[in-house]
Amino acid sequence: MSATMEQGTQASSAPGGARSIPSRIREHARRDPQRVCMREKRFGIWQDITWADYWDNVSLVAHGLAALGVEAGDRVAIHSENRPEWLYADVGTVALRAITMGLYPTNPAPEVAYLLRDSGSKVLIAEDQEQVDKALEVEAECPDLQHIVYLDPRGVREYEHSKLLSWDAFIAMGREHRDREPDLLDRRASEATGEDVATLIYTSGTTGPPKGAMLSVGNIDFAVETLVSGGGFYNPPAGPHDVILSYLPLCHVAERAATEWVNAEAGVTVHFAESIDTVQANLKEVQPTLFFAVPRIWEKLHAGIHIKMNAASPLKRAVFGFWMKMAERIGDELVANEGRHTVKTRVLYGLGYPFVFRALRDRVGLRKVRSAGSGAAPIAPEVLKFFFGIGVIIYEIYGMTENAAVATTNRPGRVKLGTVGEPQPGIEVRIDEQTGEILTRHPANFVGYWNKPDKTAEAIDADGWLHTGDVGEWVDGTHIKIVDRIKDIIITAGGKNISPSEIENLLKTSPYVKEAVVVGDGRPYLTALIGIELDTVGDWAQRRKLPYTTYRDLSEKPEVLQLVQKVVKDTNEKFARVENIRKFRIIPKELDHEDGELTATQKVKRASLYEMFGHLVDDMYANDTRYPGGDLVEVHTPGAAPVAAGRGGDA
Amino acid sequence: MTGPNTLLPGRRRAVTLRGRPELYTEYGADQALLNTPAKRRFAAVLLLVLVVVPFFLDRDLNGLLTRVFITSIGAIGLNLVTGYAGQVSLGHAFFLGLGAFTAAFLGNEPTGSLRGLGLEMWAWLPLSGLVAAAVGAMVAPLAARVRGLYLAILTLGLVFVGDHIFKEMRTFTGGPGIGRRAAAPIVGGLDLYRRQTILGVEIAGDVLYYFLCLILLLVLGVAARNLARSKTGRSFAAVRDRDIAAEVMGVPLVRTKVVAFTISSFYAGICGALLAVMYGTIVPENFGLLLSVDFLAMILIGGVATISGSIVGAAFVVLMPRLVQSLTDVLPFISRGGGGGALLSVDQLQGILFGALIVGFLVLEPRGLYGLWLRVRNYWKAWPFSY
Repeated sequence: MSATMEQGTQASSAPGGARSIPSRIREHARRDPQRVCMREKRFGIWQDITWADYWDNVSLVAHGLAALGVEAGDRVAIHSENRPEWLYADVGTVALRAITMGLYPTNPAPEVAYLLRDSGSKVLIAEDQEQVDKALEVEAECPDLQHIVYLDPRGVREYEHSKLLSWDAFIAMGREHRDREPDLLDRRASEATGEDVATLIYTSGTTGPPKGAMLSVGNIDFAVETLVSGGGFYNPPAGPHDVILSYLPLCHVAERAATEWVNAEAGVTVHFAESIDTVQANLKEVQPTLFFAVPRIWEKLHAGIHIKMNAASPLKRAVFGFWMKMAERIGDELVANEGRHTVKTRVLYGLGYPFVFRALRDRVGLRKVRSAGSGAAPIAPEVLKFFFGIGVIIYEIYGMTENAAVATTNRPGRVKLGTVGEPQPGIEVRIDEQTGEILTRHPANFVGYWNKPDKTAEAIDADGWLHTGDVGEWVDGTHIKIVDRIKDIIITAGGKNISPSEIENLLKTSPYVKEAVVVGDGRPYLTALIGIELDTVGDWAQRRKLPYTTYRDLSEKPEVLQLVQKVVKDTNEKFARVENIRKFRIIPKELDHEDGELTATQKVKRASLYEMFGHLVDDMYANDTRYPGGDLVEVHTPGAAPVAAGRGGDA
Repeated sequence: MTGPNTLLPGRRRAVTLRGRPELYTEYGADQALLNTPAKRRFAAVLLLVLVVVPFFLDRDLNGLLTRVFITSIGAIGLNLVTGYAGQVSLGHAFFLGLGAFTAAFLGNEPTGSLRGLGLEMWAWLPLSGLVAAAVGAMVAPLAARVRGLYLAILTLGLVFVGDHIFKEMRTFTGGPGIGRRAAAPIVGGLDLYRRQTILGVEIAGDVLYYFLCLILLLVLGVAARNLARSKTGRSFAAVRDRDIAAEVMGVPLVRTKVVAFTISSFYAGICGALLAVMYGTIVPENFGLLLSVDFLAMILIGGVATISGSIVGAAFVVLMPRLVQSLTDVLPFISRGGGGGALLSVDQLQGILFGALIVGFLVLEPRGLYGLWLRVRNYWKAWPFSY
């Protein structure tokens, strides 16, 4: 551990000597050219990509960009799903001392326009026809955009537009340029400094338009040293024998760290999932040893297991049921022991392994996982405990774009459930006495927001402390527990401070609830907007022979409303009376990024939600029943008579 | 943390693939016959058992196992044409007989009334297959014109035509009721059906012949399996599933059917020639309709359109009589001979069981024993889920 801290301080004391990601990859390619560093599934099989291939492509991209007139400090945008070309483009751009900007594949055209304009990107690397169409639609609004390079020619080949360029032609230009100027990258590498901005990562923008956080080469170097070599991300630290699956959006800092940085530093073999829909199947094929997921994915895995078990034969259900009880005991014991195995857990787990645990982990693709992480959003302890029970210990990690994901982590044997762990070694973390806000100070604190010095000043104070915007508290003096985002804290009319995300997360542990938004700022009591999970509720309805047509139809069924009501009541029992939800309304549609209700990372945009579904909120506080929903006594749906709940009064 | 390279690139590459049977980096691995570690282990153990076991069994049981191997070859042949290509053939016995008598003609020295060429096994075995294949190829164009019930009748006719020919070509077959001696399996002056000393080790004739047949089964079985997953095999399946659709896709119907019949007949010829060695003396009556039905039962019980099913089915049909016989010691109402006051004779019980099994499989599990195995395997494959 002390060695890690030394490394960290070295990197911070000499930012000029920071090793960039390109130099790390070049080193791998020099030392170990024929080793496989990535695999991509194409034409039904996983195609090997060696370090030599990786570096060759990186240099071709860099030269290609140079041929297109990209200079140091220019911005290059990448709009693609995860695939090797994403990394070639990113690393190639940085090798040229230019700046990468990633877009989410789900970004709709207006957001694409905003991001391209705000960053002033000169070149856009777009994956396919879908992304090219978005770019062409808004191209007129982006004066800086000069070239659009497309990866997949299908459908785009026939387009006639002066800015379009195919990937193959782009690479050919790079090859030509490399023959002309073979020493370009060496020159750029020698000019490079730790202060060079390497990437702009746009924050998800739950409030206001996204802001581009600038991360420098030095920031990333410190983050890599801390997260990868120091075991901040995966512990024990990742090594060349590790296998990972890349499937979360690479433009997010967490996945960039989990894919590109871990690969460049530790030499793990990256496997690119075919798409977000095939993650489960790819997971089973790849059987990664390291697995990082956002809570939404963990919840989906958890719900998926239970749905599939419901459809299993009685014997299988009985065996599974028995071992799940044991798993619960294992989980409880592990939680009580801060993630350390005891004799009891080892014996129970050993007995259950041949019966259920081995097969179960194999089916979901977690059999070989030796270290798992969860981050980027709060996760419900119940979900964590379930995975603890089947032998997958998940370490909750906390960090944000603005500090390059370096803040706190739970470490093996020192896990406190419900906390985000202890500060990473070699960094400063404190909690503001007045506001309770978490502050961090270390060499990976970002440079600033792109073109927004006023916002930068709000985020980093004069002493160099980064204001995270999260309210936290110390647990036992070592671990940090996140209470909520400062902006989200609800102050009721009674003057009581309430953290909505805690209640929302507990609501979302129910497999039937996909979205939950607690409302009550300046109101006499709390209410909630709830969106159901179509898969599980649909399955539930089928089992009860409840016919339905659409999502909306299903969500308005009195039986479904009663189901939601029960979830609300169960949740209420775990909170104090003032924190109880009195009423709820059903969100009549599935929330979507394209419609502006969710951010690209599937976080709810509260402001736009209030705007769109304000009538539901008004309905609740006006004591009306015009929209489907209910309170703790009855549920109602328009057109149908109010249905009284079976039991229980005003809980 | 990256550290210097201590392992060879090849080994490094293997590390990230080890224990990940579904992570295919080559089409070859994806299509491999033994594509999972479990299959590889099972195949190795089975092979080891099969190599060791003849040294511990008595002659009688060795003979039974050898017969399983030989009939498996014939069953695989029938499965190629009936299971894979979907062309019902009741004429399999005819091709078996053709192989057996060709071998006898080629392998025996001429005697007074019988012709013979006195060739060794390396000549008569492939030739008996080829002659059967040639006749198959000649009959196939006729068979390719009809399908379903008509094809069954046509191939049924083949058995009767064959029966007639075998009975009348007395200089080749010895005639009805008399027959002739089967060809001896002599290779390089070494009779593989008699005790021999090879490399200083004395090996019994039945063990030698056992190994010969095992090797032939392995070679022909793998060949059939490869055929089934090749372009030819896929065209077989296309013709089976819907001949019109297959033709629309560009699969030549007549040629595919001819190929199927020809290859199937080759397997039958080899099977007949090897089986004849075990019979010792062969008569035309050996190759009647009942033998065809036996083979159809093998593939139905074992599993249509599977190679391993053919082998299991052959084993089942060959071993069942022995099993029933040993039942007579346990069950008092079965007698060894006819009559004798018991309720059933062995033969009757065999007949009943045989019939009941065929009906049972057709109704309950059309994919045969292999289908049962699939069910068991899938049950555990999805554990603890059901799908």
